[in-house]
Amino acid sequence: MIDDVNGIVAKVFSLTESEVSDQSSPETIETWDSFNGLVLVDELESHFKIKFTISEITDVKNVADIKRHLKNHNVS
Amino acid sequence: MEKTLSEYISLSKNIDDLKFDKKLKIAILSSFTLNGLSEILRVNCSELGIRCQPYMAGYNQYNQEFLDSQSEYYRFSPDVTFLILDIRNFLGDNFHFSYNMSDDERKSLVTEKISNLENIIKCFEKNLNSKLIITNFNIPFYSPNGVIETKSNFGFHEMIEELNKSLRNISKIHNSVYVYDFNQFISKYGEKNIFDYRQFHVGDIQIALNFMPHFAYELMSYIKPITGTNRKCIVLDLDNTLWGGIVGEDGFDGIELGHSSNGKAFVDFQKELLSLWNQGIILAVNSKNNFDDAMKVIKEHPNMILREKNFASIKINWNDKAQNLKQIADDINIGLNSIVFFDDDKINRERIKQEFPEVMTIEIPDDPSQFSSILRDLNDFNVLQRTEEDIKRGQMYVQQRERKEFEKSISSLDDFLEQLDIQVKIKKSNEFLIPRISQLTLKTNQFNLTTKRYQEEDIRNFSNDNKFIVGCAQVLDKFGDNGITGVYIINKQDKLWSIDTFLLSCRVMGRGVENGILSQILIDAKNNGIKEIQANFIPTQKNKPAENFLSDFGFKKEGNNWIYKLNNEIKLPKHLKVEID
Repeated sequence: MIDDVNGIVAKVFSLTESEVSDQSSPETIETWDSFNGLVLVDELESHFKIKFTISEITDVKNVADIKRHLKNHNVS
Repeated sequence: MEKTLSEYISLSKNIDDLKFDKKLKIAILSSFTLNGLSEILRVNCSELGIRCQPYMAGYNQYNQEFLDSQSEYYRFSPDVTFLILDIRNFLGDNFHFSYNMSDDERKSLVTEKISNLENIIKCFEKNLNSKLIITNFNIPFYSPNGVIETKSNFGFHEMIEELNKSLRNISKIHNSVYVYDFNQFISKYGEKNIFDYRQFHVGDIQIALNFMPHFAYELMSYIKPITGTNRKCIVLDLDNTLWGGIVGEDGFDGIELGHSSNGKAFVDFQKELLSLWNQGIILAVNSKNNFDDAMKVIKEHPNMILREKNFASIKINWNDKAQNLKQIADDINIGLNSIVFFDDDKINRERIKQEFPEVMTIEIPDDPSQFSSILRDLNDFNVLQRTEEDIKRGQMYVQQRERKEFEKSISSLDDFLEQLDIQVKIKKSNEFLIPRISQLTLKTNQFNLTTKRYQEEDIRNFSNDNKFIVGCAQVLDKFGDNGITGVYIINKQDKLWSIDTFLLSCRVMGRGVENGILSQILIDAKNNGIKEIQANFIPTQKNKPAENFLSDFGFKKEGNNWIYKLNNEIKLPKHLKVEID
């Protein structure tokens, strides 16, 4: 379920789910650095059992982007 | 692994490890990105009651850190260093284009690379007195030379094999250097799983993040023996653990052991256990059963691999399993935190977990074909040095049982001690004895005056310092050789010697051996013109057996210290022979 994304983002960056929105990004979340971004990718991939492409990984600017890419992997 | 990297990272933010006495400084130096590793190690250490202070060197900064004697790494002064290298960065462009070189050029490249590493090790040894663990190199499954790679003259793969071989040789020469077989880690989980091209290209990550917890687990194999949190005894159930079925119901001929597929799994599991026993791991039985039924299988079943002589303690009865387990620990004289408990029954496991959380209770599935693999996955039985005493341990427990039976047959303790023919051989520390001396200081909890823990490097330093005497004692009796079981370290000052460490292994406690060793130290001091000996007793939760030793011997309390004036007569215990090697 694509609704799980906010929860996963919250878990990786040690936030509560209510603090996460589609607009959350490295600018709004302090702990979202490049390494933790990869940790997030790892969590999302094992949760949704998909593999992002490298351009999808580097292209993510906010949570909405993650959801958009997940839809390409047929996660709805 | 139970937890993902992200879970480890968030756990590491809330570790409450300031309360732990055991501390460990770990340095991680690597040629590629290993973010997250130190967080996992901190969590793993805190689970063992260890406060871990990590130091992560900057990305690919290991050369500078080792070569500069003023480096931050050296100032951190770690107890253990992990140098984690990868073959891509190590070979640079030659990783892809090794065949642009001639065989001879490849050979000299390897020689040059190894001498760089040797130089690093030299610097390490000059600046630090601790342990260094270096990873060897993964031999990639790919070669541009394809199937004729194995025919190549000093080819790409052979180069890496040669590097690995040289590393292995280096670790044999340098006592404090160990090689972690990273290549085996890759074959355990598979290069295609460990190496994720995307993570590699995004951030030079060469161990995929979902495998980082597995990698940290491997490194814990070193941390456990360094901190004395490794385990030495496996306590086993019988029915459906060492054989299939229930002997009380299925009968001697009805249990599964050997021929069927299930039966083969149990035989294989027993072989794994025996191979550990051969390396000094203690085995014991804790089973709810009719004693005679179960013992008949252990003694007579043709396919049994483990026999009575392999078990240091056997509890087969209908008592509470937790009580039995406590008795086993008392019989063998080890702590519950040294025990691993294997039982197929979930209820028994829950009982032990609740009563003794310090025992490591293994979760096992109903499927016996998994038992061997579960046992092999445990990293808790590691030691960093296997001493002669370790290997002979199984045999020594048989002698111990014989001694106990002999003791029961004799009415007075004095007669028993008299008839044991105890011999104590005092030896000065040497290169051969250092590992065992260190091991005893790390492991001995009960008869230990000061409970100071010393790594091999520390003992080596004391041994080379003429202000110190490091000695140990081998104890023999009519039942056999107990091995090196006593250690003392004396700090020599001008007019006074003070006892830094004095300990006795639990194997030989209660036989007056301590008096023999201490008398010898006093005689030695007197012969050196020393007037008094100073000692301390530092109480711990476990060293009550040594509490009255000094006062019983004739030491007098002066302030915080115990003092023995050497103009007093020095009495030697009559029931034992003390020799100086």
